[in-house]
Amino acid sequence: MYKCLVVLLLLSLSLTGCWDKRELNELAISMALGIDKVDDEYLASVQVVLPGEVSPIKGSTGRSPVTLFQAKGKTINEAIRNVSNISPRNLYSGHLQMVIIGEEMAKDGISSLLDYLSRYWEVRYDFYLAIAKDSKAEKILNIQTTLENIPAINIFHMLKTSAKNFADTSAISFGRLLTDLEREGMEGALTGIKIKGDEKTGSSKQNVESILPSAFLKFDEIAVFKGDKLVGWLPSEESKGYNTITNHVKNTLGTISCPGEGKLSIHAKHFKTKLKSKIINGKPEIDINVKVEGNISDVECQIDLNKEETLNKLNKLYEEEIKKNINQTVKFVQEEYGSDIFGFGAKIYQKHPKEWEKLKSNWDEEFKDVQVNINVKVEIRHTGSIINPIQKNLKD
Amino acid sequence: MGFFKNKNKIIINSSTSSTDQIQESKDKNELATNLKENLKYIKDTLGESTDIIFRELKFGPGGAMSAGIIYTDGLSDTSSLQNFIMETLMLDFKNNELENNPNLMNHLKDFAMTVVEIKDLTSYDDLFTALLSGDVIFLVDGYTTGFIIGNRHWIERGVTEPVAQSVVRGPREAFVENLRVNTALIRRIIKDQNLWMESSEVGRRSKTSIAIMYIKGVAEDKILDELRLRLSRIDIDGILESANIEEFIQDSQYSPFPTVYNTERPDIVSAALLEGRIAIIIDGTPFVLIIPAVFVHFFQAAEDYYQRALMASFVRVLRFVAFAISILAPSMYIAVITFHHEIIPPDLLISLAAQREGVPFPAFVEAVIMELTFEILREAGLRMPRVIGPAMSIVGAFVIGTAAVEAGIISAAMVIVVSITAISSFVSASYDIAISGRILRFLFMLLAAVFGLYGIIIALIALTLHLTSLKSFGVPYMTPLGPFSAPGQKDTFVRLPIWKLLLRPSLISKNKTRQNYTKPTRESRGK
Repeated sequence: MYKCLVVLLLLSLSLTGCWDKRELNELAISMALGIDKVDDEYLASVQVVLPGEVSPIKGSTGRSPVTLFQAKGKTINEAIRNVSNISPRNLYSGHLQMVIIGEEMAKDGISSLLDYLSRYWEVRYDFYLAIAKDSKAEKILNIQTTLENIPAINIFHMLKTSAKNFADTSAISFGRLLTDLEREGMEGALTGIKIKGDEKTGSSKQNVESILPSAFLKFDEIAVFKGDKLVGWLPSEESKGYNTITNHVKNTLGTISCPGEGKLSIHAKHFKTKLKSKIINGKPEIDINVKVEGNISDVECQIDLNKEETLNKLNKLYEEEIKKNINQTVKFVQEEYGSDIFGFGAKIYQKHPKEWEKLKSNWDEEFKDVQVNINVKVEIRHTGSIINPIQKNLKD
Repeated sequence: MGFFKNKNKIIINSSTSSTDQIQESKDKNELATNLKENLKYIKDTLGESTDIIFRELKFGPGGAMSAGIIYTDGLSDTSSLQNFIMETLMLDFKNNELENNPNLMNHLKDFAMTVVEIKDLTSYDDLFTALLSGDVIFLVDGYTTGFIIGNRHWIERGVTEPVAQSVVRGPREAFVENLRVNTALIRRIIKDQNLWMESSEVGRRSKTSIAIMYIKGVAEDKILDELRLRLSRIDIDGILESANIEEFIQDSQYSPFPTVYNTERPDIVSAALLEGRIAIIIDGTPFVLIIPAVFVHFFQAAEDYYQRALMASFVRVLRFVAFAISILAPSMYIAVITFHHEIIPPDLLISLAAQREGVPFPAFVEAVIMELTFEILREAGLRMPRVIGPAMSIVGAFVIGTAAVEAGIISAAMVIVVSITAISSFVSASYDIAISGRILRFLFMLLAAVFGLYGIIIALIALTLHLTSLKSFGVPYMTPLGPFSAPGQKDTFVRLPIWKLLLRPSLISKNKTRQNYTKPTRESRGK
């Protein structure tokens, strides 16, 4: 009797049953979110997957693999909620891959978006953010892509791959952006994305039906923030410098001029950058120490790579090249934007907290005058499968 | 699940109050002097059954004495009856001293009955039991004693290959329905004078012979006493299979887990005996019971010990994993797909979502439909005449496989999950543990559908509590994991080389030392 009662009581627990159950076919899986600002209102563009089109079991019906739901609202949350009015299924953002921010919106400040995203329990912190350069987020999300037929996943992998192989783009996840922004003495930066080609055909399936798409997306330049507002862009070379200083380069290609005439490329890997802060006469100084290992990947000049001194010379040349790039980047950011995206302030705060207390209040101005000492050590390890360049006159 | 725990409540039918008493009057248990009277009584008691053969004959000088031979047709060997009893009596035995000799019966036993097995008979109880077991009854006119002559012989199945527990490498003998053959099969493996056997009869009408076998000094006496006690409590009219006995003596009546092991392989029984376990052999079934049985016992296949240790360990681990899959796979799938989408990688999520497009049922209903279909198919496959087998497998494969998916009733992923579950449940070394997995699976599925992964964790905790609370004849069910025993780990998830298994399982055997192995040193190798 007693046992029966216990069993019945336990069974009654299941009567509450399944209240937060969500079947997969009752969900609109949103892969990308675009936020624009249109006349004091937010425009949310949600890219939702049509699973039946992506991995067709019963055959594709020719529809686009994704669809875009758009709605406006006074706050970001309101805008996204309003999407429910036009979507037959509940939005599910647990697998959000990309958040694209329109340039207008970014200039206006992104703190509202960051607050919403960090408050929302469903999203993870591993999606990437990008700024639509000279464009709107909705337009970026309206381009059909090849290879990965879900544009959001395509953009996600594109950013991941390019950030891994080149120094010009920066794959900044939501988590990293939040930490960058929260850190004292550091400003945020985000990569830019833009459309190349014809925007109109880009949104139709036609775009992916031809071998050469008439419109495609490209990551370009890095957006510099001051506070939560976009203040400007770093050109390609300076983007490289930014990634080098913040130690986010995995692989890249360095091209230098040969001692004689011609050019030579070095596939650089194992980039390691360390920042050190110093206070000299009350003035902050930053040492940037870069260590690079690389392989020669392309020689288009006549040099003798069998000799050690040639390699030493090339090391020196590449060191100079990197030094110049870093110097130029720091100068550019200091002069143009005065925004400490490199985290020099954070470094001083770490090492010299007392001095930082004095510098803190006027850091924006102080940053512009920070003296930077650059030390680069390059080591070329291999010359590829062959040693010496193939001679121009092969028969000689 | 502690509610299912039952502290060994064996329902005892009090024999005195039973209305089902066998209709023999206690006052008429002694044999009468008059042969005719005896024969008439036997005939009446057995309802003149036509398979009972009565043969009256005369013997002695001038045929002065008469005797009766009674046997059951089909259970006795008629040719040896003719050659060794009737022929000697009627043709060779013409001694004058016989007449009115008070020692006639002993004399007959000593000089006339040219058979091996012979017993004195004084009561009707013994007479009927022996007669109906196939022995020959020999009665002489004028005497209140007779003989039971062991002459059992009937047609039986020969020793064949095991059906339920087959091996690639290892002995190919399986037990048969005959108790004597079965005990002989075990004796042939263990020739130890300490291998003792106790026999008794269970079942008021079936009078089934059972034998307890154990190795004296290795088997734990307490367990042995407990077994004897539990066996003595059984009071039922008939025992048809070892499972009947198992239900009477097992510890937890309502647990999904078996606490008595059964096998049809003599080598498994011998191994168990050597470990200090006790075997119960029941006449009429090739399945021998082994007690005490602990959880890991059901995952140790005979072949684990006939393969090289490395392979055996791999397969052993695989078996545990498969058992976990067979319980958890459908429930995990349900939980993840209805509650925890975030733990699925994006590409897989989209693929799963694509499969679920247009499926009308929730994942739980879908899973229950598929699991039930599979259970029905499995059951049908077992019970059906063998000839229809191929036809049914086609229907089964087609129904659960292709058609259900194409019709959009079931998603393809669910078919995969159910198939993996089904295959995993066949990996178990023992059929019994696989069955318990079958029932638990549905419980897990229900909890997963209601609470998601939390439900699965709740169920797992409950399962662990239940398993650790179980006992088999006083031995904790989860040993050597439950009460942890370090030497026991050598033969649990892995099987170390035989020469490293120095001890018998703890808590089961009295004499722990199995072998005194010393690693050969350089000197002992002689070089």
